[in-house]
Amino acid sequence: MATTFKNFLSNDIANTRTLLHEAIPITGSIVSGTYSDNNIKTYGHGMFESTYDYPYLSSSANQIFDITVGYAATSECSASTSTQNAKKINIYNQMAQYLVGYDETGSIKKFTMPTTSAEMRDCYFVPFARLLSKDEIKKGSATLELSVSGNTAYTEDGTIFSDRIKLTDTSGSTGYYVDSPAGEYGVLFASTSVGTAALLEGETLGDATTNPAAGLLYYQAGIAVLSASVFQRSAVIGGILNSTIFPGGAMPRITSVGDASTLGFSPAVSGSTIEQMATGLRNRIYNISFNNTTELNSTIYFCRIGHSDFNYSSNPTYLSGSEIRVKTRASDTPVTYFTTVGLYSADNELLAVAKLSEPLRKDPTNEITLRVRLDY
Amino acid sequence: MGFLDNSGDIILDAVLTDTGRMRLARGDGSFKIVKFALGDDEINYELYNKDHANGSAYYDLEVLQTPVLEAFTDNAASMKSRLISIPRNNLLYLPVVKLNEVYDTSTAKHSSGYFLIAVDTTSEDDLEVDSTGVSIGGVLMGETPGRGGNRIRVDQGLDTTAISPGRTLDPLLVETQYMVEIDNRLGHLVSKDDATRASISFVDDDSVASYYLSRGTDSEYVSEITDSSNSAQQAIAGPRGTKLAFKVQSSLELNTSDYLFDTIGSTGDITGKGGASSYKQIKTTIRVTGVNTGYRIDIPVKFVKKV
Repeated sequence: MATTFKNFLSNDIANTRTLLHEAIPITGSIVSGTYSDNNIKTYGHGMFESTYDYPYLSSSANQIFDITVGYAATSECSASTSTQNAKKINIYNQMAQYLVGYDETGSIKKFTMPTTSAEMRDCYFVPFARLLSKDEIKKGSATLELSVSGNTAYTEDGTIFSDRIKLTDTSGSTGYYVDSPAGEYGVLFASTSVGTAALLEGETLGDATTNPAAGLLYYQAGIAVLSASVFQRSAVIGGILNSTIFPGGAMPRITSVGDASTLGFSPAVSGSTIEQMATGLRNRIYNISFNNTTELNSTIYFCRIGHSDFNYSSNPTYLSGSEIRVKTRASDTPVTYFTTVGLYSADNELLAVAKLSEPLRKDPTNEITLRVRLDY
Repeated sequence: MGFLDNSGDIILDAVLTDTGRMRLARGDGSFKIVKFALGDDEINYELYNKDHANGSAYYDLEVLQTPVLEAFTDNAASMKSRLISIPRNNLLYLPVVKLNEVYDTSTAKHSSGYFLIAVDTTSEDDLEVDSTGVSIGGVLMGETPGRGGNRIRVDQGLDTTAISPGRTLDPLLVETQYMVEIDNRLGHLVSKDDATRASISFVDDDSVASYYLSRGTDSEYVSEITDSSNSAQQAIAGPRGTKLAFKVQSSLELNTSDYLFDTIGSTGDITGKGGASSYKQIKTTIRVTGVNTGYRIDIPVKFVKKV
């Protein structure tokens, strides 16, 4: 009997998994400057600030990341007189319970630097949108370059970026951690990016082993946790900035709150709102880059076309009357040309379709195997 | 859809159809690919030049240069003509499916070039006979399909005078199952004899209902053509296979509401018993496909309702 279908056999269908990576560059000029902050969305609750890739009132704008800040209730910054004290503690606890989890008593654990076992009680949190991070951030690919220029208010003349450090998950591809309930995470190590000397305490330029840990990057969650130490000099507990280059009066200014006494993270976070702190970090972002990962699960259908298959066509132009147009005599070889592969259900519904980039000839002298891959 | 880049290696551009996505979302296991077919929608075999002066290597030069469009996600827009596997290479003729309008006036189209389906009694009364009392050809009674003998009939076989109709059609080429597709919002398939409604196999995401009708199990629809003479009542000139006959019942929505007429239809005059009258009309097609032989035809129909 004539037929227009061919059934798949069990060995004609295979499954495979592919990881697809995209490079995501976010330049600091988009984050602060280009759109005069029209791409920055703030909220009445004041819990975080969102950054878009275009003025957010435009329908074509995409949210790319958020910034918020928090500290543990046991932090030195925590005090009833601190601005938004409860909200900052709430933010820290929310992030900690999600990313670090609970101890055996059910208490929320604190962020801890796995390389030093030091608690991170004061943190910036930068959750990246799923649009960018997709299934996960590729391990070992992330870089956050931040300005640590001291005692400098935000300007767009470039002076704020004269001293920069770079946070990278350099060991992420081989040295990541798996004790988080939110998946795998790696350590962000800081190194001097631009500056006249080593900006970090104890750092030897070019020697990665001297780079201090400055944050964590949760790969599947797509969240960067930056320790407050990136904006503290080493003379302050936990600080990583070189105390010689950043003496007490020349620390990075995080917010516009207060006077010179608010330099550095600790005094700033006590007296500033979350939004002000977020704006402060955002204006110190020089660029961010990472590769994301999309996990493609594919089914491959091997369409095996035998020499006796599909040598005739039901195309109306194939016939003139009922006579086959590509033949002169009955003994001539039938020939067809196909451009499309249709994948069907048992009840003949077309579920997927694949197009060839050019027509393929089929006649009784050839056999063809087409490999059709459907990604999910 | 754009054309696919055909400057380098052959690539395959694969997508799920809208129906595929719908079944996947349903999550009931109905998304299961079990077979494949090959299509040649873009190919115009008239470009195959058997008389090319430079020989057979040049016969298909123009065919192979045909640009190919990207894959459509609309399941109804792809795979309109499929390749056929027949375990014989020495065939010179292939069967076709052809509308039989010559059997008698009951199978002919209306003079407008469409089959008219009157969706309510008022329209049926006006279009059953003309002003002289003669039955109007090509009008199907959509509200009461049992009324009148008009029907749609398609015949299958080798439409060539080169082979006598007295010869038996190769069993390989006899169509035993037809698929009829009709917009489910507009009408349903019913048998020509007792106007019982046929069972729908499935309705896709575009509201197109598919009916599978087989010889043997659906004998009120599909039967063999037994006439092997050169009769003027036969549309197929050569050896004949099977025929399919059916009527159409209009949907309740068309019968009781003007919404679809106003949305996807138009208005025009049709001459009936009382002379020319204004009718709301929806033009559509009923597609008949030979499931085994793959040949298909689109039958033009109009659902009409007297204003």
